[in-house]
Amino acid sequence: MSRVWLSWLLGIVAIVALSLILEGYVGNLYRKLLLTVALCLSFNYLFGISGQLAFSHIAFYGIGAYGVVILTYKVGLPLPLAIIGAVISCGLLSFIVAVPATRLKGFYLALATLAFAQLFNVLLLQGGDITGGPEGISGFSAKGYFGVPSSGGAYTVVIAGILIFTFAILLLLDRSWFGRACRAIRDNEAAAEAMGVNIFRTKVAAFVVTSTLSGIAGISYAFADNYINPTVFTLEPLFLLLFMIIVGGTGRHAGAILGAVVLFLAPEMLEAWIGRHYLLGFGVVMVLVILFLPSGLIGLVDRFQDRLAAHGDRQ
Amino acid sequence: MEDFLELMVSVCEAGSIYGLVALAYQIVLRPTGIINFAAGEWAAIGAFAAVSFITWWKLPLIIGLPMCILAVGLVGWLTEVIAVQPLLKRDAPELSPVLSLLGMLIIYRETVSSVYGVDNLFVPMPFGFGRVELGSIAGTSQSFFIIITVVFSFTLVWLFFERTMWGKAFQAVAINRVAAALLGINLRLVTAMSFAIGGAVAGLAGVLLAPITSVHFLMGLPLAVKGFTALVIGGVGRVEGALLGGLLLAFVEKVTIRYAPIPSGLALGAPFLLLILFLLLRPSGLLRARGEQ
Repeated sequence: MSRVWLSWLLGIVAIVALSLILEGYVGNLYRKLLLTVALCLSFNYLFGISGQLAFSHIAFYGIGAYGVVILTYKVGLPLPLAIIGAVISCGLLSFIVAVPATRLKGFYLALATLAFAQLFNVLLLQGGDITGGPEGISGFSAKGYFGVPSSGGAYTVVIAGILIFTFAILLLLDRSWFGRACRAIRDNEAAAEAMGVNIFRTKVAAFVVTSTLSGIAGISYAFADNYINPTVFTLEPLFLLLFMIIVGGTGRHAGAILGAVVLFLAPEMLEAWIGRHYLLGFGVVMVLVILFLPSGLIGLVDRFQDRLAAHGDRQ
Repeated sequence: MEDFLELMVSVCEAGSIYGLVALAYQIVLRPTGIINFAAGEWAAIGAFAAVSFITWWKLPLIIGLPMCILAVGLVGWLTEVIAVQPLLKRDAPELSPVLSLLGMLIIYRETVSSVYGVDNLFVPMPFGFGRVELGSIAGTSQSFFIIITVVFSFTLVWLFFERTMWGKAFQAVAINRVAAALLGINLRLVTAMSFAIGGAVAGLAGVLLAPITSVHFLMGLPLAVKGFTALVIGGVGRVEGALLGGLLLAFVEKVTIRYAPIPSGLALGAPFLLLILFLLLRPSGLLRARGEQ
């Protein structure tokens, strides 16, 4: 086995092992970290690789979560059917949003999808019995299906599996002709078109795939706390995803992971000193990175490795 | 009928505020191509400045209002110096300044919340709670004050763009940056000025809004969305488009809340629906820029 494969395997083993070891508060934190990394990876593909700044990513996360809960708890479908139903809803809805929205350029796409996300939030708040309004829905559980308990380390392994699944799909796409088409469109739409890339189809496909992946993460989120409410699916977490990707390194998987881990753990580490003002710190870091470090933290890591390599050559 | 007329006064009041925020976007967007989502935060800073100058220091409006506008204009100029100018100088990707302004949005909001706290603050009505009646049209004194001030400011901005040399320079930069630079127009100065004037306009919106709502650190983002919706409805090319868009948005919003047979919470979705419809069906807005076919 080559070294690359070995390191991938070691990574997966480490992620799963940590799922089983960590418990209580730290275990819960670890689950949220895994979900955040999964969201960052798919959002990075949409924004960083495909060049579409869409503010609907968290909305699809919510559509997955609410979708699966409403289908099981309110409609009464068995869980496997409800999961399939929630995934299909995400796919269909993202397709309906993508077909008109991908024609919009730059920040106009962001604002159209922002309007969609806000509409989704209004519906959650006003959904009455179906969505539970501002209090959300609680008291459901996924116990008894697939022999997987919905709490404890075993469920964390499920979430880890979803992260690995997300990463695998995105890597496969990125390394195929599709990934090259996405990057070509991001860098120069006219040139990509001249090379024979179908702009419209590629953009829609990237939007639908990444949004559906976000929805799948949302499905697993619903059973992580067995409680969902509208505040989790507002604009704030979307801004956080954007910050994580930009700080980590836009357009690179490693950057998205690094940004997600650093910015997710930073408030936990720093809370004792700065309380809730960590958001101010995020704003400052975001502006500084855009100004002085366009390739993000991962660019710094690269530079450090290059220097190490150069040093090694000299010896 | 009386009910409807009173509703129209409140439509004009809200529409004027949205229009001003839309104008703040437009003043920055035209010469630079940058969508400044922090404009809502500028308006919030204007409202907080009013809390400081008018509620706490008890300055009369005639001094307090210009001070607020000046303060936010300064914030706008600083925004340009910190978060935009270095990127333009480096020839960074088009989206970079937009993203760094999103970062500034968070910085402003969190700074405001740590200085002023997270509780609701209030600014007194400058002309008391009295009602003004003009024939069958009636409303609070603040409504009429807002409408008159906004009409006056729009006239001023319109005159600036249409009748002064500086306004023409802005127009030239809006049409073609490179050609404008070749003609000897100082691009740096125009960009900095656009942020300063945009800040001042957004700040005015905040000061006017402060007495009729509670001042809160989260008030900026909703204003940013409303202002941008107004801009998209009216069209980015003309000053009067911003006001028209603001009025139309306020009309749809107030009329759905008052008359549509749906819960008022659901009616909050109407502006978002309007934004989506306009972005998709008529992205150039109702009024097109002059000389555009």
